[in-house]
Amino acid sequence: MTLVILISAFMAVSYTVLQLVIAPAFDDLDIAAARSDLHRAESALRNDIENLEAITADWGPWDDMYAYTTGQYPGFESSNLNRPTLANLGLDLLVVYAAEGRFLWGHYRADQKSVSMNTLNALIPNDTDIAALAVHDENSYRTAGYVRTVHGPMIISSRAILRSDETGPIEGAVVMGQFLNEAHLAKHRERTDVDIVLQPADASTAPIETIELQAEVVSARKPLPDIAGRPFLVLQTNTPREISSLGTHTINVTMLFLFIAGALAAGFMWFTLRHNILRPIGKLSAYIADIRSSGDLSRKLSMHHHDEIGVLGKQFDTLVTEVHNARQALLDQSFKAGKADTAAEVLHNIRNAMTPMINGIDRVRKSFNVTKNLRIAESTKQIADPNCPPERKQKFLDYIVASFEHIENTGNDAMADLEIVASQAKQVEGILSDQERFATVAPVVENVMVDDVLGEAANIIPRENPKTVELTMAGGLEKFRVRAHRIGLLQVMGNLILNAYESIKRAGMPAGQISLTACSEMVDDTAMIRVIVRDNGGGFNKETESVIFRRGFTSKSESEFTGLGLHWCANAVASMGGKISASSEGEGCGAEFHVLLPAAQGG
Amino acid sequence: MYTIQNREIIKVLVADDDERVIECYREAFGSEEPTRQMRALSALTAELFDTTRELEDQPKFEIVTCNQGADAIQAAAMARDEGEPFDVVILDVRMPPGIDGVEAGYQIRKHDPDVEIVFVSGNSDMPIEEMQRRVPPPVRLHCFHKPLSFVQLAEDVVKMVRAQ
Repeated sequence: MTLVILISAFMAVSYTVLQLVIAPAFDDLDIAAARSDLHRAESALRNDIENLEAITADWGPWDDMYAYTTGQYPGFESSNLNRPTLANLGLDLLVVYAAEGRFLWGHYRADQKSVSMNTLNALIPNDTDIAALAVHDENSYRTAGYVRTVHGPMIISSRAILRSDETGPIEGAVVMGQFLNEAHLAKHRERTDVDIVLQPADASTAPIETIELQAEVVSARKPLPDIAGRPFLVLQTNTPREISSLGTHTINVTMLFLFIAGALAAGFMWFTLRHNILRPIGKLSAYIADIRSSGDLSRKLSMHHHDEIGVLGKQFDTLVTEVHNARQALLDQSFKAGKADTAAEVLHNIRNAMTPMINGIDRVRKSFNVTKNLRIAESTKQIADPNCPPERKQKFLDYIVASFEHIENTGNDAMADLEIVASQAKQVEGILSDQERFATVAPVVENVMVDDVLGEAANIIPRENPKTVELTMAGGLEKFRVRAHRIGLLQVMGNLILNAYESIKRAGMPAGQISLTACSEMVDDTAMIRVIVRDNGGGFNKETESVIFRRGFTSKSESEFTGLGLHWCANAVASMGGKISASSEGEGCGAEFHVLLPAAQGG
Repeated sequence: MYTIQNREIIKVLVADDDERVIECYREAFGSEEPTRQMRALSALTAELFDTTRELEDQPKFEIVTCNQGADAIQAAAMARDEGEPFDVVILDVRMPPGIDGVEAGYQIRKHDPDVEIVFVSGNSDMPIEEMQRRVPPPVRLHCFHKPLSFVQLAEDVVKMVRAQ
């Protein structure tokens, strides 16, 4: 969905940029082309005028013409002014004026007919225009431009008649013209390849060049004034919008290409994202959720991708493994550290309490030696000696009395010391009572993987070379999870496995076997997991079976006793809401220890 | 150690944060004020039996006690300045909140290399090797664990001093 939105947004932005930036550029190019066409058309018309001016420039300053207008060369008219002359010169009008605007000769061609005339007014009704054409002076010896005629617009050129060396005085004017008719314009259209149109000007005609963008063409217009400077014609060129059309087509093709490319890219990205990123990340997320719900850090993602996601998966596997190991180590360490701290604290308190107690006992012991330094026997001997003077006898008697008083006082002190010692012994007992209270705190239970605990507990078996005891773990143990105190259960299972190992060694079995299995069962509508440690060691008889979990019971010698007793194991399992039991077919027949624990949800 | 009227006087400095333990040291190393009855018996003993030599054989202790390691360092410095340094310094290892006994022993040993230093600990968390490392050199250094017999300790102290 996000990809579709992204591609759509990209298409929209591209279309907007093309329409707002590229398309106007095409319009500008069209306008420039239209302006160029207009200038070419204008140039073509101007060339017409210039050509016409060139012809009049040939005829105006000419001695024969000069002689004709001054009446000195009457034959000029018959030899030069005739109808073929107009055709030869490509003219539609030829008029000759004598001095002061006196009409001498005139002829024009219109509608395929040649018409002779006596006055130019027959063709050009406006006298003002005619005046500008017929009369010249030193300041204005030529006139050229557009004039309105009764047969349509015409380009016209008038030149003063002078001698061939262009000296005067001016003796008239020669006027030549060409109709700007459709045939004339057709030639220009063909020559310039520009659609040229001439329209009459009116009051609303703009005095400047204008450009109008239409759907199919760009119309460029420019006013053409007549020879008197009045609005007369509008030159219009219509340039097809080929550039815009091509641009629009290009934009459309580009948009189509972008759309197809975008769709293909989106499809490819979607496939690539899904295959290379989304699916692996989904797998990673599911894996994390699974770990969070199960608490089982021993599971592996096992991602086989060789890209960055694959590397991430492998690193995550490594991380989880390290966290798993760290958790195990931390649990073990915290358990041991907790025990060590508690033990150290208890020891410290007991030692401090016992220190004055021992001092008191020392004093009592010293009291019992009170007679050691007294010389009562020697004194009685002196008293009994007849040679001893009476005063000295009295002194010895006093000494004996004082000694007994000292003994009595020492005895009293000793009694007081014993009371102090008894009081201090109570303090020690109080400390121990406190610890006993803590010892009854229930351990924290969690979801524990059976295969995980058994695998770790199995490490308790000493490494042997050659190996005489084979430990096997049944398949499918990984599906069993129990609610237990992990460290406690680890110690229980370690103890049972170690007991099995030692039982095998004591029995001298050459090929010892310890098997670890588990199964689920319902006990009083409660899902339980039964974990069984089975060995082919020495086993035990029925009499032993009845006392095997009693406090202090062990089948080992004192030097062999290395682990926690079965009594502790039974208490530990009971504290987790479970039961422990043992069975054997008899001495020499191996043994089975069953640990029944509440199943974890889903375990 | 010095002698008064032919009797050895052993100067002992004790630092322990437990007042009950301090009391035990005082009893073991202190000289109880004899009662009237004891003085009469002693006088009769001296008059009727010659006990002068026995008295000379029993050394007398002069004990100074404190509750913190810093106080012990100060007391040792004062005694040294007065020209009568302690023969034995007995230090509890843990004396919160101040410095521990091992650090106090190190400071005292720096200025008095001949003093016998005895560490008494209620815990077993610091091995003697660690104490020897922290209070060099590893001679005239002893370690006892509580609970201990203070009478026996007093006898051991006499042996330490006489062995010098």
